[in-house]
Amino acid sequence: MTKNFLEIENVTFAASTKSKVNNVSLTIENEGDIICLLGPSGIGKTTILRTIAGLEKIQSGKILLKNKIISSKDIHIQPENRNISLAFQDNSLFPHYNVIDNIRFGAERNKTKKKDLTTDEVIKFLHLTHVKDKFPHQISSGEAQRASLARALLSKPDLLLLDEPLSNVDQSFKEEIQVKLKQILTDLKITTIIVTHDSYEAFYLGSKCGIILDSQLKQYDDPYNVYHFPNSVEVVNFLNRGILIPAKVTGENSLESEDLGSITGNFIKHYPKGSEVQLLLQPEDLEHDDKSNLKLEVVDRRFRGTNFIYTLKTESNKLIPVFVHSHHIHQHEVDEKFGIKRPINIDHIVCF
Amino acid sequence: MGKKINIWYISSFLISIAVAIPIVTVFSSFFETTGNYSSIIKDTFLYDYIFNSLTLLVGVLILTFIIGVGCAYLVSFYSFSGANFFKWALILSFAVPAYIYAYSLTAFFENYGTAFSILKNLFGEGNYNVYIPKFDGMMGAIISISFSLFGYVYVLTRASFHYQSQNLIELGKNLGFSKKKSFFKIILPSARPAIVAGLSLVAMETLSDFGSVSFFGISTLTTGIYNAWISFDDLALANRLSFYLLIFILGLFILENLSRKKAQYHSPSKGGFKSKSLTVLKGYKATLALTFCATVFFISFLFPVLQMLYWTIIFPKHLADLNVMELFLNTILLVFLSSIVLITLAFISNYGNRVSKSKFLEILNTFSISGYAIPGIILAVAFITFVSWFDNNIVSFFGFNTIKSIFIGSVFGLVIVYFVRFYSLANNGIKSGYLKINYSIDESAYLLGYSKFKTFKDIHVPYLKNSMLLIGILIAIEIIKELPITLIMRPFNFETFATTAYIFASQDLLEAAAVPSLFLILIASFFIIITSRYILKD
Repeated sequence: MTKNFLEIENVTFAASTKSKVNNVSLTIENEGDIICLLGPSGIGKTTILRTIAGLEKIQSGKILLKNKIISSKDIHIQPENRNISLAFQDNSLFPHYNVIDNIRFGAERNKTKKKDLTTDEVIKFLHLTHVKDKFPHQISSGEAQRASLARALLSKPDLLLLDEPLSNVDQSFKEEIQVKLKQILTDLKITTIIVTHDSYEAFYLGSKCGIILDSQLKQYDDPYNVYHFPNSVEVVNFLNRGILIPAKVTGENSLESEDLGSITGNFIKHYPKGSEVQLLLQPEDLEHDDKSNLKLEVVDRRFRGTNFIYTLKTESNKLIPVFVHSHHIHQHEVDEKFGIKRPINIDHIVCF
Repeated sequence: MGKKINIWYISSFLISIAVAIPIVTVFSSFFETTGNYSSIIKDTFLYDYIFNSLTLLVGVLILTFIIGVGCAYLVSFYSFSGANFFKWALILSFAVPAYIYAYSLTAFFENYGTAFSILKNLFGEGNYNVYIPKFDGMMGAIISISFSLFGYVYVLTRASFHYQSQNLIELGKNLGFSKKKSFFKIILPSARPAIVAGLSLVAMETLSDFGSVSFFGISTLTTGIYNAWISFDDLALANRLSFYLLIFILGLFILENLSRKKAQYHSPSKGGFKSKSLTVLKGYKATLALTFCATVFFISFLFPVLQMLYWTIIFPKHLADLNVMELFLNTILLVFLSSIVLITLAFISNYGNRVSKSKFLEILNTFSISGYAIPGIILAVAFITFVSWFDNNIVSFFGFNTIKSIFIGSVFGLVIVYFVRFYSLANNGIKSGYLKINYSIDESAYLLGYSKFKTFKDIHVPYLKNSMLLIGILIAIEIIKELPITLIMRPFNFETFATTAYIFASQDLLEAAAVPSLFLILIASFFIIITSRYILKD
């Protein structure tokens, strides 16, 4: 028997032919770990959560929770007997109870368990105090979503499943809730799987991230690795934070690009000298230098508060993103020339 | 979730089957041999039956469309004196069954009737009978049924108009539409599903009508069925005619169902809905709107009530002779028993369908609720046919005593046929309540550790208790007015207000029929008033 807290072995998750994820295997090693699943809409992320919760059956593979099979072709533990809580993305509050009563339904589930978290605390941190006596139809979708989250948290499940938990929450306190949520989940050691399409949210909350693309779990790794060492072109394209440019491997730590010239750094994967590769350039890989003789044309500039993202056009018409701190005094307009610091050294070189 | 067969699945299946038995009986009659009367009917009356049924149908549909849509439009889009009153008062017409309307119409316009008395009192002796129009025969039936049923079109169209967003109207203005063009291009088309749904209900009720057509002596398919069974003792022919009528009605039923599905797209959304600002009518336009609504209200409700009240007052003997308390208790007993059976079984069946998510159960359920579209008289005949067959073939085969008396001529049997007849009312009520409960709510309950039964008991029942109360009252209104089933299935000497009124009227004792008719209308009105808020809401 495995010692992992949750183990998914070769499971195909399918709610319909459209929403299908094939042959998934992943593990959550320790109680209290938080993992995030990222992927485009309609790919089957919610189906994965529903299946783990027992709301859908599986035809192959098995799912084990705390060393016990909860789903397989022959075994299906009913959802009410799994002690798994799922906070749905849409409003799933009981319409004839007010918010506080809805939340108390969660608290009543595991009454015997030691109370580390009170209803009042949860209501306060999720900013629900002003709506606690209202009915679901009287509150906004963001408030309903937070109430649903509160109910799920208070039920003290063995496994908590959150489906886009903050997608309707106002930006103004989204980050605050993320911080507090992570703190509570970690303090109470609530093992959690979060589905989200917000990669920043996933990278912050999850100790591991799974990327689901093309009906497959493409990558399952810690957030740093997912971002810096994507394992496929599909993951690069999905995260949309870089560009692939053609280059030729010229040595153990170097390659040559037609547009940028010589580039040095540490290869993540070894390629023989002379190999033609696609080099991943992320916005923070290149540095700005007004004095440099390598100048590219600015085609777009996006202000992101703490930084600018410049989009530069190379001679071969490739569009390269470059990150510049927003306090940088030499701001460049569209059509101006933008200098790139030479020699170019990239900490880790990712090629495909 | 799994589609395995569990207790909920089986319960739902059995309930649907029980409701479907009389319908299947009617269908199976197609293969039975009919008596000689069948060929006579084919050569003589069948054409009349069909022609009269269609004439009646077309006449009623045209009149109910004009009255129903006209009133709904006026009270939904305009503000004028009395508009708020008429908004709910117009639904009081539901309290007057078509057969009682027919008695009132005849009583008022007949030779030396109420109209004659009024003219005589006002202007002295005269030959007024020549000038008083006679609303009998087909015209009488069309008017009686239309003013009794236009409420269906009114309620559904008004709900649709009510939920039409101001954004839609403003869009029309923005595109430079005149009021007339807005009405025909935007308002009416978007209410079309509701109007069609209302007209379909009217059509089904019209084709099922027995009381008023038999009173006016019009031969329709319904009276044909009654005659085949009562006068010629040809149960098979009665079933065969029922089969033809059923096919016709099922067509309408499918049409209504399809249109209802479309109607869902017109339900208000939380985001984009903006309530309408009413146009204030002044001067002659306000007078015209008031006159139209007041006339409809008067003709549909006040007129029959006043006619019955008038007779009750001038013939107090009939009131003294009638055992009102007994009729009241009998009526309430039927209402109470039927409501409990209907609501409980509809609830279990719906939950069974919801939990098992079975396509088969859905289809069976849809088929079984077509009982509402089947005239009460057919259901009663079909039920008797089935019980007789069961008794003759199954019960006697095992050597048991006959069970006919348990089911035929008993309150038990009566409640069973009511159950089949009104099951769709209870079922649709619970179903529409369930449509408002997102499935993720059930799933949330399961994930909070609730079993299916606990979810049903602690989440669904409390949430739908208002719906249940409303359905109970709607069932009460229908049962109080119901005539043919009660007439055929009731125990000996067991009368309700409806049957008593009918019996007096069929003996040409219209003034005696007035007392039970008046009580019937008053009780039904009471139930309508207490539920008017819900009826108008949806």
